[in-house]
Amino acid sequence: MKFNWKPYLLTLLVLLILFPFVYLVLLSLASEWRFPQLVPSYFGLRNWTQVLNSETGLLESFTISVVISLSVAIVSTLTGFFISRTVAYHPRKHQLTLLTYFPYILAPVVFGACLSFFFLKLGLFGRPVGVILAQFLVAFPYALIFFSSFWGEKTKSYEDLVATLGGNRRQSFFKVLLPIAKGMLLICFFQTFLISWFEYGLTSIIGVGKVQTLTIKVFLFIKESNFYYGALSCCLLIFPPVFLLYINKRYVFNKLI
Amino acid sequence: MFLEVQNIVKSFQQEQVVKDLSFSLEAHKTLSILGKSGCGKTTMLKIIGGLVKPDAGHIMLGGKCIDGEIPEKRSIVYLYQEDLLFPHLNVFENIAFGLRIKKLPKDEIREKVGQMLQSLELGDQARKMPHQLSGGQRQRVSFGRAIITNPSLLLLDEPFGSLDAGTRQRMQHLFKRIALEFRITSLFVTHDLKEAILMGDEIAFMRSGRLKVYTDKTEFISDPDTGVQNEIGFWQNLLVEPQSRVTE
Repeated sequence: MKFNWKPYLLTLLVLLILFPFVYLVLLSLASEWRFPQLVPSYFGLRNWTQVLNSETGLLESFTISVVISLSVAIVSTLTGFFISRTVAYHPRKHQLTLLTYFPYILAPVVFGACLSFFFLKLGLFGRPVGVILAQFLVAFPYALIFFSSFWGEKTKSYEDLVATLGGNRRQSFFKVLLPIAKGMLLICFFQTFLISWFEYGLTSIIGVGKVQTLTIKVFLFIKESNFYYGALSCCLLIFPPVFLLYINKRYVFNKLI
Repeated sequence: MFLEVQNIVKSFQQEQVVKDLSFSLEAHKTLSILGKSGCGKTTMLKIIGGLVKPDAGHIMLGGKCIDGEIPEKRSIVYLYQEDLLFPHLNVFENIAFGLRIKKLPKDEIREKVGQMLQSLELGDQARKMPHQLSGGQRQRVSFGRAIITNPSLLLLDEPFGSLDAGTRQRMQHLFKRIALEFRITSLFVTHDLKEAILMGDEIAFMRSGRLKVYTDKTEFISDPDTGVQNEIGFWQNLLVEPQSRVTE
């Protein structure tokens, strides 16, 4: 009988994928784990309980990250949806679409350096509002590109139909276009949230160390060789995207298919 | 005349799509407009519906010039070949859409939509979503959604173009009945000869942006440009051919 490798190979692959996540959780529970110790000298919830006090500032970072990412995702998704319509029906649609790719030509750090002069003049350096605005400048073009496929002949026909049925522009948006685009809006929200959540380069330049998002915090802990807090902040970093991924899969993706 | 279209001209870049278009239509009548793809039929309908701005000309509806009116104020509903049912609304809500926009009382909406569902033979489909309906049922909902708003004029752009032959025939009969019941004034665009003759109280033929309205069906049939003579010739030849083969 021929030996079937497939289940073993599949199990190995699953283990390889899961290992970094499991190891992160274990590392976040450990402390004082030095070579050649096989197991850490402390293994428990000490690191996690410290999240609740302000000593490490992780809870504060988590909160500021959630606030920044939610703001960026909500604003860029909604403005992206409405403005992408103007771009899609504009006579110079192709040139405008080309411009939306501009922020992605440059590395985020270089892009941040280009923006820094204006942010300094506007007094937005080192402030959460500045970071939100900087991240918006990256997430908004993404939303524009994302929604460009929504505005086609069929959508225009829907708009015209609503108009001839007696509906105005506002009714067309709120009663027809937004409900039809609900799935796309949720996916865009999810994607722009992720763009903001994992953003490092722009945030570090515009935030100048004063706005410490979780991503910034992870790098700080790694620089300090504090692997346990690094792992803990990584766990916190992964939690919201996993939650959103679940929502996306459970309520959005299944309905789109 | 209820609808008067006077000297409408429309060009897209260098191409003149509608050329000096003029015609009129009495109230509660249907004008069938026959024409091949790309002859300017859709542009003409969109101009009348206010969705495309003409370069020149005037449109009078019920004795009033509507040139400056925006589409939502014209009381003209434009129906596409595609039914364009709102996918997030069920049959009842799709039909009620225009009434809800006009903010009619809930009881009145319920009563009117109920009556419309009965007229369209869709009484038992009210709670279904558009994806659960057949092509013919979807098109009926689309009609109901337009007619329930009591428009002054209905513009139908090849509404049965995507339906199979049997459904198409049933829809043609249904439209005739509904048009009579609700006293509809409409422009019915089609590229199907038989449909043009069946549906219209009057018939017009559009070619290269120009519209010719016929005084009666006999004139339409005898005009070689319309293609009716070719069609008759085709069927006659089909009948003659087997006989000639036998005689040979």
